[in-house]
Amino acid sequence: MPIPPSPGRARATGVRPAPDSVARRTLAALERLGGALGTALLALLLLVGVAAVAAASLAGVGLLLVPATLRAVRALADRERARLGRWGAELPSPGPVPDGLRTALTDRTVLRDVGWLAAHATAGFAVSLLGICLPIYAVRDVTYPLWRSLLPADLADDRPWWWAVDTGAGQLAVALLGLGWAALTVGLAPVLARALDAAARRLLAPPPGADLSLRVAQLTTSRAAALDAHVAELRRIERSLHDGAQNRLVAVTVLLGAARRSLVRDPAAGEELLARAQDAAELALAELRGVVRGILPPVLADRGLAEALDGLAAGCPVPCSVAVHLPVRCPASVEATAYFVVAEALTNVARHSGARNAAVDVRREGARLRVRISDDGRGGADERSGSGLAGIRSRVEAHDGTLQVTSPAGGPTVVEAELPCGS
Amino acid sequence: MRIVIAEDDALLREGLALLLRAESLDVVATASNPAEFLAAVDETRPDVAIVDVRMPPTHTDEGIVAAVEARRRHPGLAVLVLSTYVEQAFATELLADGAHALGYLLKERVGRVEQFLEALHRVADGGSAIDPDVVAQLFARSRPDPGLDRLSAREREVLALMAEGLGNTAIAGRLFVTEGAVHKHIRSIFAKLDLPPTDITDRRVSAVLRYLDAVPGR
Repeated sequence: MPIPPSPGRARATGVRPAPDSVARRTLAALERLGGALGTALLALLLLVGVAAVAAASLAGVGLLLVPATLRAVRALADRERARLGRWGAELPSPGPVPDGLRTALTDRTVLRDVGWLAAHATAGFAVSLLGICLPIYAVRDVTYPLWRSLLPADLADDRPWWWAVDTGAGQLAVALLGLGWAALTVGLAPVLARALDAAARRLLAPPPGADLSLRVAQLTTSRAAALDAHVAELRRIERSLHDGAQNRLVAVTVLLGAARRSLVRDPAAGEELLARAQDAAELALAELRGVVRGILPPVLADRGLAEALDGLAAGCPVPCSVAVHLPVRCPASVEATAYFVVAEALTNVARHSGARNAAVDVRREGARLRVRISDDGRGGADERSGSGLAGIRSRVEAHDGTLQVTSPAGGPTVVEAELPCGS
Repeated sequence: MRIVIAEDDALLREGLALLLRAESLDVVATASNPAEFLAAVDETRPDVAIVDVRMPPTHTDEGIVAAVEARRRHPGLAVLVLSTYVEQAFATELLADGAHALGYLLKERVGRVEQFLEALHRVADGGSAIDPDVVAQLFARSRPDPGLDRLSAREREVLALMAEGLGNTAIAGRLFVTEGAVHKHIRSIFAKLDLPPTDITDRRVSAVLRYLDAVPGR
């Protein structure tokens, strides 16, 4: 549902906001460098393994290990793709390594993965290590005057620096050097993180002209589902407007017309008709309110998802706890979908589950919003029995998300939705 | 006048019945879906049926289908169709067998009680009542007709009111002119459309049909 942009809503739309302070930018860069260092360490270990298998293959026996090794490389590369996807545009995985030794060894994506492994285990390792060491040096040196006196004498005189540090001035110089490291961290960490990301993205992206048919098929399906859901949504709105408010208003005009005719003949009857007309007008208003709420709950736009969900939980007859972890807001359409998932699930809890407690948990994990509603009721929820879950599923899938309902007889029931937040 | 009302919205159905009964008209039955409606028509043999276009189960054109079926079972049954929207497709479907004893009005016209009652009586007496919005849409979509193009603006107005189903007196009232002036316009319309002076009623119908025929797809 397109929402007309308005200044007040700007914060609710779109993409992860640019970090707005130097500290946040630096911390974000360090987090990325830390992640890169982690996969670089794994890459280093795996590279040794690859080298060993390659050497053994020259003797023939290593060939048996090649498929497993290539699968391990692909797994690590996919892990790195997922990690990079959390910080920017999604990187699609090429899928499983092709069967057959010859096919696998000549597959372009496999060769690119191995190339990435070599680069990431060496240059990537060095760069990310440098990036992580900078702030460590900064902390070590800035605080040097504080902890030097705690060192044993022989260590304290051991000099990692190029000047004597047994004087106050020398120690101050170390602290100033620490400030220098800190400045370098602030200046360099984002650059290093960006460079690492760019290099890794270049190597891990699908090769130019690669067969993207799988991804295209995925996108086509989700796009078709989005259009279907959109049409279904429009039809639902049209129906509720037509059958509700519009008919009420026609009734208002009919009753008003009748009242006008009666005023002369029979004022008492006219009065009664006017009262009915007013009732009909009030009904129309109530129904319009319901329709508007169903399009985008106003509380969501005004207060955000957390408060909107608190409101839903408060209105649920079953005691319901709500936990929301959202460091940044998601696009409005995603929040609205999450809201309707919770609303529908809680309606089912109240109507069918017989539960004594329910819990709502919403958290953002990387570029995905996870919504989980659980209850301790009798279970047995069936999507096909018109419980409204099917509508929710199409709404979720329209956003390229997934919905899982587990509800064994005897309970408990867990409804879980995962929605991509865009990035 | 005996009337059957088919309308799925309870409030509107009751409102309509209330309005008509206050006018001393005899509402013999009300129905909320096509099956009930057809049964009520079979049973009560009304003079007029007032039918909502959108009714259960699919809320699309059940009312039109039911109205056509009722007229098939009871030839000559007067039907006044009420609709929330102007749907040209519905209008042409209804008018396929001519516009005798047939009305197609927007729902909110009911609120203008005098005009609504006038239309209801006209339909009950075998005339027609086509909503001005429907007529305007038909005009807007009509394909070029040299005869129609020769008409003056005033003559087009008169023709549109004829298409709505109004008689000369009513047309004169709507346009704030004398009946004599309306006669003059109509004679001029007949002349410009090359309708020979044989039978006045036939020419009147021919003119309207000519105008309705100018609608593509009919």
